[in-house]
Amino acid sequence: MYYVDLFLNGLIFGSMYALMAIGLTLVYGLLRILHISHAAVYALGAFITVIVANATGSIALGMLVAVVVSAIFGMGVYRVLYQPMLRYPPYVAMIASIGLLIFMEDAFRIIFGEQGLTFTRNPYPTQIHNLFGITINTVQIAMIVLSTICLVALALFTTRTRMGIAWRATVSNPTIATSFGVDAIKVRYLNFMIGSALAALAGGLIALLNNFVEPTMGFVVSYKALAIIVLGGLGSMRGTLIAALALGLVESFGTIWVGSYLDRDALAFLFLIIVLMVRPQGLTGAHA
Amino acid sequence: MKAHFPCVSASTLMGAAVLAIGALAISPAVAQVKIGFQAPLTGPAATDGVSAKVASELAIERINAKGGILGQKAELVTYDDQAKTEDAVFTANKLVGQDGVKFAVSGSYSASGRAAAPIFQNAKVPFISAYGVHPDITRTGNYAFRTVHLGQPQGRAAAKFIGDNLGKKRISVISMDNDYGQATLEGFKSAVDQFGVKILGEYSYPLRDRQFGSIVASVKRDNPEAVYITGYFFTGGPLVTQLRAAGITVPIIGSQAFDAQKLIEIAGSAVEGVYIVGGLNRDPSNEELKTYLADFQKRAGYPGENVGATVYSAIVLMADAINRAGTLDPAKVRDALANTKDFPHLAGKLVSFNPLREINMPMNVNIVKDGQFRHFAWIDDLKLLAPPTE
Repeated sequence: MYYVDLFLNGLIFGSMYALMAIGLTLVYGLLRILHISHAAVYALGAFITVIVANATGSIALGMLVAVVVSAIFGMGVYRVLYQPMLRYPPYVAMIASIGLLIFMEDAFRIIFGEQGLTFTRNPYPTQIHNLFGITINTVQIAMIVLSTICLVALALFTTRTRMGIAWRATVSNPTIATSFGVDAIKVRYLNFMIGSALAALAGGLIALLNNFVEPTMGFVVSYKALAIIVLGGLGSMRGTLIAALALGLVESFGTIWVGSYLDRDALAFLFLIIVLMVRPQGLTGAHA
Repeated sequence: MKAHFPCVSASTLMGAAVLAIGALAISPAVAQVKIGFQAPLTGPAATDGVSAKVASELAIERINAKGGILGQKAELVTYDDQAKTEDAVFTANKLVGQDGVKFAVSGSYSASGRAAAPIFQNAKVPFISAYGVHPDITRTGNYAFRTVHLGQPQGRAAAKFIGDNLGKKRISVISMDNDYGQATLEGFKSAVDQFGVKILGEYSYPLRDRQFGSIVASVKRDNPEAVYITGYFFTGGPLVTQLRAAGITVPIIGSQAFDAQKLIEIAGSAVEGVYIVGGLNRDPSNEELKTYLADFQKRAGYPGENVGATVYSAIVLMADAINRAGTLDPAKVRDALANTKDFPHLAGKLVSFNPLREINMPMNVNIVKDGQFRHFAWIDDLKLLAPPTE
């Protein structure tokens, strides 16, 4: 039962990493930019969830507003920060992106205070359910259910709808897609919108689980998500999903087996190094 | 005319002399005793830095309200060190060289305190690291003092509290993998045998971690009688919540840095009944602390905790030592600091400094009850709590 617990925990960690990393890999696939400030969008989602939930008394409304506002913010980042930089090499945009992350962390600190925020009413993390001998709380169930719904919906959207197929085509080859009449600019906005909405959802769920959001909460996730998209083969959605879940599991078991020698945060990179030594193209090798 | 000249000159001189004496007489009222102060006002440690700054201001106001230092007004010269060694060195040099301070207090983390200490030592500036816990700070030399318990005595106190006071013998330990967490763990492990405590499982987590699922699962498997955790309120809040959410109902004992109102805000009902070894004694009879906490809340807009209280105590202690020395001579002030007896530190009675200028002081244990920290016990075995002497 212990190992089932650890396994389940790994999947929960992994599902949150996946929600976060999908946006990052989409941006990389489309624009070849490492969108580091995606982590700030995640933190923004968490802060908005708490603020709106505390103001209205509805956590669901908080999450909804967070997702919408973050999606708009994400598109704004593209329009204001990246679009003017597209004519420069991608590292210019990456440096600007790091700058934005640092700026946002300090902005959160100045606006929301040094000590972070908590929900005034949040019964969910301590609502316990027993499923087949496993103890799991409501937030963890929500994490699994919501991330599954989002990822399945995303998969259906990109394979079954005209817009989704056009999007995928643009990600894999912008020039050809454009010549087939796909509006590449629209695809870029769509990209930032969906990626940012997913990150905000992850931020809101993590905020619920910890009952705590803090200005620096995006930092750790930012570099883990980078490790994930490299593992996933840079730009591959399927690869990112697999890498995210794999990292979640590695961390869950690794914390117990090697945790006393190695920091959990370092595990991500050890895992990355080992995988890249064996499979330089990433776990799935979608982009060799 | 010539005959009169010396006469005029003499009266002018006399007038000047009178003015000069007058100026001397007035000067003590306007002269200021400067105390250098470093704190991480910006950057990742700013949460504590801002608390430290508010506490430092309250301390100076209290000192001046009580007659200042040797009848002169006390003044802080504050610099931001961002909790970084390079900034700590830079601002320490500035304090000594440019501002000419003769006394200094660090309201910053271990790394900066450790970097700044040699500069103050070389300049023979009495220096107090308020809450930096790295052992090397006081080893720098005879001008470096510390006003907080080191991690190891904190850990030993926790072992006694769990084994003796609570009578729990089979426990799981979760520690933070930074200096403070590991030093506390070391102290704890060195004392468990003495109190018949057995460690069933030992887990560590990084400072930035907030997802403790696998540790929680492991503690559940251990099925302990109690759980001991070293960490800060921002790790402790989520960790306690996640332990309770997994159906673990045994007593949880947290380390000193749990002692912040934010812990209760984060973990809510989950943190009820949690013990904190080394927390501030918020008993209503503790008048000075009560006043301090009320003033702090008013000034900062959020409740005060250990960091601020220790910084406040360190600055008040420095002023107290100068007053006891009766002179601004740093060497004499150093001696007065070293000879401190029964100083009313906000965290308890600072009995004395040991030869390594570490505190001998009992430790308070709090319990969270009805959403508040309440005094639960004192660990006053000063032999058990003895800090290292070399």
